[in-house]
Amino acid sequence: MDIFETPLPGVGVRYEFTAEGGDHVGVVVRRDGKRDIALYDRDDPDSCRGTVELSEGDAGKMAELLGGSNIIARLEDLRHTIVGLAIEWVTMPARGGLVGRPLAEGRIRTVTSASVVAVIRGDQGIPGIEPSFIFEPGDTVLVMGSDEAVDRAAAILTG
Amino acid sequence: MLAATAPLPGLRVELVSAHASETSVVLIELGIVFIVLALLGRLANRIGIPSIPLYLLAGLVMGEGGFIPIDAGEEFLSIGAQIGVVLLLLLLGLEYSPDDLKVGMRTTWKAGILDLVLNATPGFIVAQLLGWSLQASVLLAGVTYISSSGIIARLLDDFDRLANRETPVILSLLVMEDIAMAVFLPLLAVMLVGATFVQGAIAAGIAIAIVAVAFMLAVRFSKHVSAVVHSHSRELLLLGVLGLAFLVAGLAEAVQVSAAVGAFLLGLTLSGNVADQIRGLMPPLRDVFGGIFFVFFGIGIDPRDLGPVLLPALALALVTAVTKIGTGVWAAKRAGIGPKGQWRTGLSLVPRGEFSIVIAGLGVAAGAQPLLGPLAAAYVLALAVAGSILMRFADRIPSPLKAPVRDGSARVRR
Repeated sequence: MDIFETPLPGVGVRYEFTAEGGDHVGVVVRRDGKRDIALYDRDDPDSCRGTVELSEGDAGKMAELLGGSNIIARLEDLRHTIVGLAIEWVTMPARGGLVGRPLAEGRIRTVTSASVVAVIRGDQGIPGIEPSFIFEPGDTVLVMGSDEAVDRAAAILTG
Repeated sequence: MLAATAPLPGLRVELVSAHASETSVVLIELGIVFIVLALLGRLANRIGIPSIPLYLLAGLVMGEGGFIPIDAGEEFLSIGAQIGVVLLLLLLGLEYSPDDLKVGMRTTWKAGILDLVLNATPGFIVAQLLGWSLQASVLLAGVTYISSSGIIARLLDDFDRLANRETPVILSLLVMEDIAMAVFLPLLAVMLVGATFVQGAIAAGIAIAIVAVAFMLAVRFSKHVSAVVHSHSRELLLLGVLGLAFLVAGLAEAVQVSAAVGAFLLGLTLSGNVADQIRGLMPPLRDVFGGIFFVFFGIGIDPRDLGPVLLPALALALVTAVTKIGTGVWAAKRAGIGPKGQWRTGLSLVPRGEFSIVIAGLGVAAGAQPLLGPLAAAYVLALAVAGSILMRFADRIPSPLKAPVRDGSARVRR
């Protein structure tokens, strides 16, 4: 899906895309945080059949309703790079890699210089990972380091 | 709508005859002015037109030759009107970031030039036909050129057209006009001083250089200036911004760049957090002083002068409504908008308002041409109302544009 972005001088930004069903949808994000959702007219694609004006809070709620389950999936891909510092969320596989084995066995810090910062297991975040920490399938592991180090650490973790 | 104001003259005469002191007269007059504005504002809301034309009308029926003579409060109104101009332009500058201006210039400069040529020329020609001076003709050209971004942006929101595909075209054209105004106003200020051609050219060069330098500084030091005025207290923020605005506007006026442009550039300079807060805080203040500005402009006009300029004003309104529509259609077509959207773009650009009055007000203050005020008032009255109505019913007004249109020039002439 392609999302087109158009600046609206003095108002904000407009995003538009064509839904899989063929409907053309626009979202105006105003500078004050208000959002307008618009459904474009099929006969006159330049105008809207209707718009919904949402406050910032409304928009947040609506986003939850529309896409809540996607957020975890997105986290897996999420990767921030801050000038030389990469942060990656690595999801442990069902088997292989370091699953069922302690952190120390991977020798991640020695080999790659990347650090395992925290693990998310279920709903719980576990900071301060000890060398004796044993990984379980489905754990989300937060790894930090240089770009390359993080990639190699991920390879060790997932096998 | 004048019914509400009709009983007031009698009221005032009684109050004044009761040996009221100077202060009480001023307060009573201002009270009457503000209450009339409040009532007219409600009325405008109710019938769905912008309040600017009604404020102008209110001014016309007050003051010299009107039904409600206002004299004691005039001094305050005069200063209030100047503050109104400063605030109007300050908030206009705040609406745009320097990036908006750069993007607007890059994408719409061709349409911007067409806009200028098509819409300034009729004003200039009519002024020449009326035998006005060069200064007054340039002023009238400015009056007919500039659309009202206040009215248009407000109505686009009211009519739920912000998400429409043609809206960026409309907004970019408005941005272009505002840039043009930032260059035009200092030029005008120099012209109005009545310098010789060479002196004028030099002064104009200096004025434009100052604006250009100020603009670059605005982009460069945006963060610093914003940090200086920033405060978590709304009161302190307001005081800081108002102080800076008046200071910059006054200094700009002193070097003949015009106070309005100074305020506009300051508005562009403020950014980020400060800009967001001011955008939430200042509009009511701007609307109050802006209202005073329109009333004061109307007060300065003797309604009896409207008669002789009515015909040229309406003819000009008709012609420049058509040229604006032509501009909009052309710009929208270039942006790949369909025929219906092109038509809406054209109709949306018709309203003239606050900035036409700002330009005319400069000329009136400089005594450029006695009939400029009445003509501009009649012109803005006509196009603010007609333009809003055209915008509202854009989709129901049969468009002469049938898809696909072959000949570009034929459309412009429609």
